Amino acid sequence: MKNLLDVMSVQKRSEANKTQKQKPTDYRKVDKPGVVPRFLFECAIKLQIKPLTSASAAIIFHRFFKEVSSTDYDEYLIAASALYLAGKIKDDPVKIRDVINVTHNTLNRGTPPLELGDEYWSIRDAIVQAELLIARTLKFDLNIEHPHKYLLYYMKTLQSWLGHTIWSSVPIAKSAASFLQDFHHSSKILNHKPSHIAICCLSLALQSYGIQVPLADESDEASMWYTPFVSDLTKEKHWEIIEDIIEIYKQESEINSF
Amino acid sequence: MQQLDGKLTRYEKIAFLGEGQFATVYKARDVLTDQIVAVKKIKIGSREEAQDGINRTALREIKLLHELQHENIIGLVDVFGHKSNVSLVFDFMDTDLEIIIKDPKIILTQANIKAYMIMTLRGLEYLHMNWILHRDLKPNNLLVNTDGVLKIGDFGLAKFFGSPNRIYTHQVVTRWYRAPELLFGARQYSTGIDIWAVGCILAELLLRVPFLPGDSDLDQLTKIFQALGTPTEETWPNLNKLPDYMQFKQFPAIPLQHIFTAAPDDLIVLAEKLLALNPVQRCTCTEALCMKYFSNKPAPSMGHKLPMPSSNKQAVEERPNLKRKLIDALEGGTVPKKLF
Repeated sequence: MKNLLDVMSVQKRSEANKTQKQKPTDYRKVDKPGVVPRFLFECAIKLQIKPLTSASAAIIFHRFFKEVSSTDYDEYLIAASALYLAGKIKDDPVKIRDVINVTHNTLNRGTPPLELGDEYWSIRDAIVQAELLIARTLKFDLNIEHPHKYLLYYMKTLQSWLGHTIWSSVPIAKSAASFLQDFHHSSKILNHKPSHIAICCLSLALQSYGIQVPLADESDEASMWYTPFVSDLTKEKHWEIIEDIIEIYKQESEINSF
Repeated sequence: MQQLDGKLTRYEKIAFLGEGQFATVYKARDVLTDQIVAVKKIKIGSREEAQDGINRTALREIKLLHELQHENIIGLVDVFGHKSNVSLVFDFMDTDLEIIIKDPKIILTQANIKAYMIMTLRGLEYLHMNWILHRDLKPNNLLVNTDGVLKIGDFGLAKFFGSPNRIYTHQVVTRWYRAPELLFGARQYSTGIDIWAVGCILAELLLRVPFLPGDSDLDQLTKIFQALGTPTEETWPNLNKLPDYMQFKQFPAIPLQHIFTAAPDDLIVLAEKLLALNPVQRCTCTEALCMKYFSNKPAPSMGHKLPMPSSNKQAVEERPNLKRKLIDALEGGTVPKKLF
């Protein structure tokens, strides 16, 4: 029952967010968990890179800080460098000058673009150095298996199973995709298998809209709707991941209330 | 940091192998395993390049090779960085198919050619099964070691394919090995472009000179059509819709057995499928490997029976492999156009 209540609170919060307009976050002042990934995604949107590229940047960022202590390096610099590196890896390149302008302006809101002076060159140098540092820290293993492709495949399959009427009555696909992208704000995304994450994002979307998958029996672990997709996802694991996803939205309201 | 410094001493430089546009290559000994390796140090040439960070070609090669493991694909043993350099450590390969083809002392028997073809197609089949296009196949990138094992190398232009509607650049593959659809400016292409290159390589193994050495893109198409005939709306529907399409003089096709006079019939059948002008009619690697040619006699040569360049011992030490690419570049023709 507790899990269901959590879902309800996500719903309420998202409705509350709609009504009140959020002021821009002042990253220089807020020091809360999840604030740097939020910065990363804000910059990603401004840079107009593809969602998979920003997801890669977030994964690179989290993987890096899994290896080193967050106090040893400037997290905002690493976020900027992760965006730049992800652009290269995903063949969705961003110009380094755009990265500098966007990150600098997002950190120092209202300031004009940097002149081509000492500060600009030292930031550029720092981003490039950090890029190599990240690559080395990750032992040059820059391949990322994204949950996105699993999510797409599961949704395609469910779409016909649920039928057009139900599927188009509520934005399941959009919500599941949003949960997935938002989950990249948390380093806990590294703890789970991509296929499991995809199932849980979809599961949360289905629950949020109260959609029942036909012929699935919630009471029996062996006949959950997702068992045909992933045989190794236990009920406990399923809830653990969903709680990890929901935690993102709690962090978000903490940051917003600052 | 200590661990990184360790990498520098782990690979003991033995000889300078060559220098290219993006990298310097050394032959080295891995002190830990006593293995001979090739260390490719990515150049950070100009100040400008240094300020753009890790070279994208190198990054692409690192990323792809990290995931691949196959007998006929070059193995990425290690990657390490020092200061602002990145170095890639590969299996050491003694020679390549271009050197073998050009060596007048080497006789390439039908069994030898079959062995090279099998190894090339197996490596490429594995790449294509993993949704990767190589995009720069040529004899120079088919590396051979003293055990006679052929491995596909140089993944600087390789790319994932299969996303629907994805637009690619057509400025890939060294001109002589470039498929007609690329020369007509196709932006959506597939495994057919690698298959075409394999067809050109097979022809080169038979002729011992490049099959279609065009000196411009236009001349390249002319050479292709002079040999294989100009395609028509019937043989290649919607051909005229390609971005850079232009009409060519109607050349009749020369039967391949007149070009490859010494080749057996089963090989001609294979060559016809590899060099089909219409990419839709070209075979896949798997289809090619199932063709009669590969099960008919003679059996392919076993690895150690494959020829090595006569002066291989010294040649390996001094061979200015990548430098040759540079010289070729000045003469035009064999260096692929850069993507970026």
